[in-house]
Amino acid sequence: MKGVAVTGMGIISAIGRNLNENHLSLKNAKNGITNPEILSTQHSHLPVGEIKLSNAELATILNLPENHSYTRSALLAVHSVKELLENSGYDQFPEGTGFISGTSIGGIDKTEQHFYDYSENPEYRKYIQAQHPGFTTEKIAEYFGLNGFVTTISTACSSSANAIMMGAQMIQSGKLKRVIVGGSDCLTKFTLNGFNSLKILSEEKSLPFDDDRAGLNLGEAAGYLLLEAEEYTSGRSVLGRVSGYGNANDAFHQTASSENGEGAFKAISKALNKAGLSGSDINFINAHGTGTRNNDLSESVALQRIFGKNIPAFSSTKGFTGHTLGAAGAVEAIFSLLSIQYGEIYPNLNFKTSMKETGLDPVTSIQNKEINTILSNSFGFGGNCTSLIFKKDE
Amino acid sequence: MMSKELSIKNSLIIRESRVFRNGELIFEADQGLSTTKFLKKVYNDQKLKYSKFFKMDELSKLGYLGTEILTNGSIEDKETALVFANSASSLETDVAFAQTMEEFPSPSLFVYTLPNIMLGEISIRHQLRSENIFFISEEFDPLLFIDYTTALFQQEKVENVLCGWVNLHNNDYDVFLWKIANSGGMEFNEEELKKLYLPTHE
Repeated sequence: MKGVAVTGMGIISAIGRNLNENHLSLKNAKNGITNPEILSTQHSHLPVGEIKLSNAELATILNLPENHSYTRSALLAVHSVKELLENSGYDQFPEGTGFISGTSIGGIDKTEQHFYDYSENPEYRKYIQAQHPGFTTEKIAEYFGLNGFVTTISTACSSSANAIMMGAQMIQSGKLKRVIVGGSDCLTKFTLNGFNSLKILSEEKSLPFDDDRAGLNLGEAAGYLLLEAEEYTSGRSVLGRVSGYGNANDAFHQTASSENGEGAFKAISKALNKAGLSGSDINFINAHGTGTRNNDLSESVALQRIFGKNIPAFSSTKGFTGHTLGAAGAVEAIFSLLSIQYGEIYPNLNFKTSMKETGLDPVTSIQNKEINTILSNSFGFGGNCTSLIFKKDE
Repeated sequence: MMSKELSIKNSLIIRESRVFRNGELIFEADQGLSTTKFLKKVYNDQKLKYSKFFKMDELSKLGYLGTEILTNGSIEDKETALVFANSASSLETDVAFAQTMEEFPSPSLFVYTLPNIMLGEISIRHQLRSENIFFISEEFDPLLFIDYTTALFQQEKVENVLCGWVNLHNNDYDVFLWKIANSGGMEFNEEELKKLYLPTHE
């Protein structure tokens, strides 16, 4: 099973504005977690993974007209798709390029900034329609003249992982030849207050997989990959392959994960099966590892059930970027492909003490070794669990 | 690659205080009832006993009720995939949660501020640990369902798919559910789907 070729990538996150900056931060164990500076909130003590560019600065970089109606998610997405285009080898996306974007927030940032201005200030009314999550996707598509298959996926924190899965499926079933897949989510008061109300935000930098973990840090990011059918890849650089994918519902609770990690277990099993691999073929796991009490235990149990005593090296990169919600699957797909490209395993930051229940230790410092196969997990509210497997191109 | 014809096994519509199963009107309440009151009436009419219903937001209630009625409360194939979409996402609950942010943000509302929580609710009710996806489209898009569902069958991932368009905006609900399998029903194509979805005339 050769898997679907990845021929371009682009990213913007709290640890960098492009692939190179993200790679350097990962390599140097440099996190992007700070108190909020761009997001205006009274919860200024809650650490976040924030991109230190205002919307106006992003709009200037992207040469948008003054009266543009791009939401922050759209700005971040366009920024990263521009990078993807640059390194894809195309001047512009060929006719018929599809676009599948995941988001959990859409344009809520604009609604919460301007809701009370709409009646008095007509100039803000352009943002009313921006509330629709499909609007953000359409804006991105419009920027690049993408007029083929365009759709938006909203399955919480697995949204962009599902976009990657769907893109790979559509290429393998012959429905699309070329598709941009990924996702974008920005920080908002809505999510900061919401996650805080669930009491799962840490007041310190998050400690994924640590016994003393006290919750997650929210983050913002956009990440996109270009997937292409085999006949278009000759003579072009293939960065890696999507060789397995699986999705399953945990069927346990609206937002919490089950104790035995059944949804995660099934998603990983399906992905291995799809890739035609067994657990021992996996060199490294980019875990979901949000830093909440519930997720990290449930995910650890699922890993034990799949891999037994021989759990591959694993780490969560949420300590670098925060949990970027709908973008997390794509961000971590890109980190996985960087691992494969450079033969590096990026550390799980802030880890000190193994969890009592499982005794598992993630990788805590950068390691250099050949990586051929990576499993990347993304689990979302609503029980939506997705696992992707990336392989080196051979 | 396999290219078997897929079939629409059955369908259900909930809109304007009415419930239709396979095109037949099976329940009707007074026009103009609030969504909450109408949903309670459907729940009672169906003699359902599911205490989790009362904790759900209205979008999840619509998805739950539609699924109960369409499947007579039983989904035998636990690998049945759920392929759902809507236009307004979870907007009604988003607004309700945003209002609580002014004083004390409500965790019980926040958990429903995502449209795919409905798929979690259906999966919990029927103990499905199958594949789920939720799309946001401007309007009902038959081709999106056909493309995605066909790919699932082509990859031999599934034998049954429950598809759903469940939209709720300003007390205006629009629910269209249907089941897809390899055989036994009408042809699964754009024309048939549109015919089933378009407003019913009497």
